[in-house]
Amino acid sequence: MATDESTIDADDSTVGNDDSPFHARAEYDATPGDVVLELLDIWVFTPARILWNDYRGRFGIILLSLYIAMGTVGTIVVPEPGIGQGDTLMQPFQSLEHPLGTDGLGQDMLGLMVHATPNMFRMIIAGAVFGGVLGIAIGLIAGYEGGTLDKVLMTITDSVGSIPGLPLLLILVALIDPSNPYLVGIILNIQGWTGAARGIRSQTLAIRKKEYVEVSEAMGESKSNILFKDALPELLPMIIFGFLGGATGIIHASVGLYFLGILPFDHLNWGVVLNHAYQQSGALYSLDAAHWLLIPAVVITGMTVAFVMLAQAFDQVFNPRVRARHEARKRNREDPELDDDGTVTSEDTTQVGIQ
Amino acid sequence: MYGATETTTETREQSKDTIIEVRNASVTFDMNRGRGRVLDDVDLDVYRGETLGIAGESGSGKSMLASALLDAVEDPGMLTGDVTYYPEDGDPIDILELDNSDLQRLRWEEIAMVFQGAMDSFNPTVPIKAHFVDTLEAHNADVEEGLQRARSIMHDLNLDPERILEVDTYQHELSGGQRQRILIALSLILEPELLVLDEPTGALDLLMQRKILKLLHEIKDDYNLTMLIVSHDLPIISAFADRVGVMYAFELVERGDVEDVLYNPSHPYTRSLLRATPDPQTPLDEITTVDGSAPDPVNIPSGCTFHPRCPVAGDRCEIEEPDMVEVDDETEHVASCFYQEEGKEEIPAPVSKESGDFTFEVDDTWSRHPIEDPILELEDVSVRYKDPPLTERTLPDSILERLDERYDIVEPPVHALTDVSLELGEEDVLVLVGESGSGKSTLGRTAIGLEEPTEGSVKYDGYDVQAVERGEHTGEILFEDVRRAMQIIHQDPSAALNPYRTIRSSLSQPLKRWHSDMDLNDRRARIKQMLESTGIRPAEEYMERYPNELSGGEQQRVSIIRAMLIEPNVILSDEVVSALDVSLRVELMNLLLDMQDTFSTSYLFISHNLTNARYFAGKANGRIAVMYLGQIVETGPIDEVLSDPKHPYTKILKWATLPLDPDSARETIIEESPIVTEKSPDPRNPPSGCSFHEACPKAREACTQTRPKLDSDGNQLHRAACFRDDPDHEYWQSEPLHGEEREIPGE
Repeated sequence: MATDESTIDADDSTVGNDDSPFHARAEYDATPGDVVLELLDIWVFTPARILWNDYRGRFGIILLSLYIAMGTVGTIVVPEPGIGQGDTLMQPFQSLEHPLGTDGLGQDMLGLMVHATPNMFRMIIAGAVFGGVLGIAIGLIAGYEGGTLDKVLMTITDSVGSIPGLPLLLILVALIDPSNPYLVGIILNIQGWTGAARGIRSQTLAIRKKEYVEVSEAMGESKSNILFKDALPELLPMIIFGFLGGATGIIHASVGLYFLGILPFDHLNWGVVLNHAYQQSGALYSLDAAHWLLIPAVVITGMTVAFVMLAQAFDQVFNPRVRARHEARKRNREDPELDDDGTVTSEDTTQVGIQ
Repeated sequence: MYGATETTTETREQSKDTIIEVRNASVTFDMNRGRGRVLDDVDLDVYRGETLGIAGESGSGKSMLASALLDAVEDPGMLTGDVTYYPEDGDPIDILELDNSDLQRLRWEEIAMVFQGAMDSFNPTVPIKAHFVDTLEAHNADVEEGLQRARSIMHDLNLDPERILEVDTYQHELSGGQRQRILIALSLILEPELLVLDEPTGALDLLMQRKILKLLHEIKDDYNLTMLIVSHDLPIISAFADRVGVMYAFELVERGDVEDVLYNPSHPYTRSLLRATPDPQTPLDEITTVDGSAPDPVNIPSGCTFHPRCPVAGDRCEIEEPDMVEVDDETEHVASCFYQEEGKEEIPAPVSKESGDFTFEVDDTWSRHPIEDPILELEDVSVRYKDPPLTERTLPDSILERLDERYDIVEPPVHALTDVSLELGEEDVLVLVGESGSGKSTLGRTAIGLEEPTEGSVKYDGYDVQAVERGEHTGEILFEDVRRAMQIIHQDPSAALNPYRTIRSSLSQPLKRWHSDMDLNDRRARIKQMLESTGIRPAEEYMERYPNELSGGEQQRVSIIRAMLIEPNVILSDEVVSALDVSLRVELMNLLLDMQDTFSTSYLFISHNLTNARYFAGKANGRIAVMYLGQIVETGPIDEVLSDPKHPYTKILKWATLPLDPDSARETIIEESPIVTEKSPDPRNPPSGCSFHEACPKAREACTQTRPKLDSDGNQLHRAACFRDDPDHEYWQSEPLHGEEREIPGE
């Protein structure tokens, strides 16, 4: 009987029957420290190590760290740009005072680049988090629950997704007059969640039919546990890719809108620099002003590349086969007795193991 | 029977001439873990006109050997050695030296292959006919003439060539058995000399297996073929082949005439494998397991590859690689073992020449009384599935109905289960047997509350499960306790474990859910002990592995442990052993039975074959329920049902189960199928009366009128839903349906 818990009761395990594997207990209790270490290892150390072992991941981390340094330390070290800091249109790599040269108004290019970074990060974080969270939540719920809820959520998603993007942005910007970078980020990614929600829903539909999800359901697991422990790990590569893809999207959208002059020039942005370069100097036709256009272009591309590289490398973090190999290597270090590859059985034998 | 054996012996004696000769064939793979050897120095001759069986467990290299014959080993595999083909007239051809165009000509025109997995062998976007035309065009053959030939082959294979070739038929319109036969027809279209069949009946139902084996037997003579049949299923080889080669760890370990090898197996591996095969005739206690597991291709044991698992291995076996030794001077029976005689003493012969029935050792402890206090009770349960696309449509029902009246757009629901009642006691075992589509999985899943019955009720411990879920018995029993009490173990162990979780994390799940008082270290300790108690060692290391690092058997053990950690009272074991190797099946069934002793759980055990059903229920003093088209047609204690089946369908299933013994297997393989039509009835429009009457050789007019019920009066345990069970029924006065009433062999 389910209610007859004689075999389960904790107190029972100490009385008799100690040999049975169903009564095994540890000799000492787990300290909070054990638990924290364990969690840290699963969620922080191992993923970080795998990322670092992948050349794309390493490249992405280094590149992104440069931008983060630019946005934090950089703003303190490099003085804020101002009109008439130096001569106009100084060429880059000529003087230490203005290493990247100056623009047509005599502003330091390095300063322009550096001081635009913090706001860029603010926009990315706000936009990507907004799009990601909304997309994951709607996609997971619609896919797992199905039925009417699914239909309602997907109708909303499709309706939002089918509004033409640029006109929507123009109207929103005109209505809201965004000066807060976080708000700008959210507006820029206002439709970003629709794609994510669609994708995650379709994946969830497939996952919820999997046998291990059925086992969890039969076990009486709570819905949130099933969603977060069974469905989410499989979706993580997609989520991270969507997240980082959203980030690059926001970079491009903000640069584009600032360039077009649709967003107010309250803040420094690489797009503003591009706009000035295009509007005021004819940088497209003159070699003298070429750097005014090229430097922001390179800076924008660099940040995009960093995110793309990271996104690709994250795929490795969530791939259980890669993780398995990583764990095996770790076991080897702890236990040099094992042979070079650690495991005796691995993917190749597993495939032939069942028919 | 004797017709068959005579002709085969005849052909064998006539022609000792070799059609294909394999010498020192090896296949190596470079893996990131080192160099893997998946075929190790194999020598083999195939004689013209014979059927050679290659037996072995999955991963033993048998499919690799088959691919080697066509030089079709896929990259990055490297095939070395010699493969020589001897055409009937002309010079020998060294297959491995051929250039691509010659190789293409050789394949299909001389040697054709029927690959494993008929289900996926056709392009779903192209009609079947195009596959034939493409093959003919690729070989510059006359298409019209070729299609004519295809029609006659299809006719011989009992297919309707008009339907398949004249109309654009796509693969999804065909059943698995039809696809498999079309695949065979496609392989014969260029009139090859040698046909290689890789698990030709792999995914098919019992009756279809028998049909295809019989057809293969017939076309072999009609088309003058040499056949090489690769299978893990020993009874198929026993019934079908003249000679057999047994593979273990990428080598041939024994080879000889089927009778010699099966009656006098001389390699310890062959002997153990035969003993691990649940055969209807082997006494239950004599079915044993093969200890240990098959070696990794990267890490093959030195000396004799079987020595780590061999009960008679000596020091010599660890160092020296045994050569093929003749077992008997007069035959070509050879085995690669130093200690053949010791092996024969240690491991008794598993196949006896006496052909017999399913045997049971029944003793006094067997219960012969109805279940008094059932833990699980199903009453007149029916399950119907509506078409998913229609339920997804957003039209209101009223409009749908009116549309349906006019345009007939709503298909009737699938009758997955119809009026099924069953009871399961405590520590009980009930085996559900049936072909695919018979509703056994639906019944199991409905019984444990994973699906809702459309009609009828499922009671757990006297409480209606759905009522409990609705909260009608609050205070008496909690739904979560009911949910916890009924668990499932799936067929495919790799899909049942979350690939993103380590073994420890997967096994922690039930403990976290139901033993919140246990902390991290307690859980770790219990999981470790459980793993060790099921033979997964070193447990500490396995705990941190991901499912893909485990073999199929290990994964299935982890699934079983996980179900046990929930401590349920009823476990649905859905074809738990059918995805596993022969030698592992018995081991895992034993594990389940041991767990029952420790845990006092009841099992609903789903199986599509009678041999596993007999082993599992026979060991546990259990019952069997035979299902057909959503109904239980016969139920009762396993020994009574199998030794004295009452329902014609059970009798036919029993007939379709091939014995290991080659003499009786060959005798049965040529028998005409007693079934009237292979077409299974449409579950959307089940036939009136008895649902089996269209196929039943014993059907009479009465069977079309009313549906026979499993009579539930009194204490009778062995019951069949058939009018023949009742000597006074009007059935006996009515006319037979399909002309002369046919006998079911073995009746």
